[in-house]
Amino acid sequence: MAKLLEIINLHASIGGKEILKGLNLVINEGETHAIMGPNGAGKSTLSAVLTGNPAYEVTAGEVRLRGENLLAMEPEIRARAGVFLSFQYPVEIPGVSMTNFMRTAINEKRAYEGKEPLSAKEFLLLMREKKKLLELPDKLNNRSVNEGFSGGEKKKNEIFQMAMLEPCLAILDETDSGLDIDALRIVAEGVNRLKTPQNAAIVITHYQRLLDYIVPDFVHVLADGRIVKTGDKSLALELEKHGYERFA
Amino acid sequence: MDTSVLHKGERLEKVFLNEPSLDLHLVQEAGSCVRIYVINFDSSRSRDLEVFNRIAIDQAGEGCETEIYALAYLKGDEKVTTETHVTHAVGGGSSNQLIKFVLDDKSQGRFLGELKIAQDAQKTEAHQTNRNLLLSEDAEMRTQPQLEIYADDVQATHGASTGQLDEAALFYMQQRGIGKQKARQLLVNAFMKEVLDKIPDSLIPDSLTPLLDSIDGVVQ
Repeated sequence: MAKLLEIINLHASIGGKEILKGLNLVINEGETHAIMGPNGAGKSTLSAVLTGNPAYEVTAGEVRLRGENLLAMEPEIRARAGVFLSFQYPVEIPGVSMTNFMRTAINEKRAYEGKEPLSAKEFLLLMREKKKLLELPDKLNNRSVNEGFSGGEKKKNEIFQMAMLEPCLAILDETDSGLDIDALRIVAEGVNRLKTPQNAAIVITHYQRLLDYIVPDFVHVLADGRIVKTGDKSLALELEKHGYERFA
Repeated sequence: MDTSVLHKGERLEKVFLNEPSLDLHLVQEAGSCVRIYVINFDSSRSRDLEVFNRIAIDQAGEGCETEIYALAYLKGDEKVTTETHVTHAVGGGSSNQLIKFVLDDKSQGRFLGELKIAQDAQKTEAHQTNRNLLLSEDAEMRTQPQLEIYADDVQATHGASTGQLDEAALFYMQQRGIGKQKARQLLVNAFMKEVLDKIPDSLIPDSLTPLLDSIDGVVQ
């Protein structure tokens, strides 16, 4: 299996406060990794640093995506290279319709890959196909990005965008938070159907519940900015039972 | 100054696009309706020229409607001042104003919005909103809402805000692969659209089509 992502001794801080304190992680193609841990352990910081959020500063370490220096890339280049973040709090963008947003994103990625832009017709057909996967309504096209969406719709919309962009590395940051059981099932099924032997997912979650639906190959415990324990899916059950106290 | 009277029940709808200056005084008689759209978007204009828009409306009869929509997109060292003076002398009328500025580079914008509701103008509904977007640290906006309300049974609101592009929205778009410049343009277009969408299709002047096309070109 080819190595997709390699994180070596990653240190990162926000506002001068160190959050990640030497994190190491290797992800191969075809793998699903769950990252669990107590609040404040650095789970969301990891997703922010991998995607190039300018609020965070990397102070040491390396991250390689298929051998290339990920940290040297602008956020949009990381995205076009296949890193996708399902945001914990998807952002509302009033006045920018889902259609315009998504078509711009798709065509920017295609241009990066040296492909022709999709025609309006090809694009709308693709939208329709992918919306079905997430059971999203047709009216979505004309609505402003995430504006007035319910919590469940926002999370479905994240996975819909993932389906449109077909990333090689999907980072799902607390995708289960705020979802009822039906929405959770739809979102998880969407994620599972997008899985291929060539791509990989990092599932960041506080609870074991999501992992009943998206079954991880590895479970890592992140505490105080480092991965302190790695196991298989049974580790998630153990954490659910005993909590994070012994890692805090 | 150009003063005109709108007679009872008359209707005026007009777009003013890139006028070097505008000085308009309208007296509205009962039941008349005014819709004015003032668009300043011309970065090719001579740089030392300061644009001055002055719109004065007197609602002199009952049940008048007034709508004023203004958008200025300034670059370089352009300067635009927009003043509105809306007076409700008689009750039962409504006025709605939406004034937006987008300021890039070293441009300067100024909005003065005077809204008077006389003591006899009961049951008036008046709204004034001014929103400004600063794209550069060197751009400057001054805004002065002036409300004088002497009647007690009215609905009047006003709001003014000046801000920058939403960093969270920019990052969200970048995370989907949209380049930073294009993401900025999408947000600026979204901000401008709120005013441009108010203009009825039949009134859109040919010379505004390039602007609308450029917006659509980015977002379509």
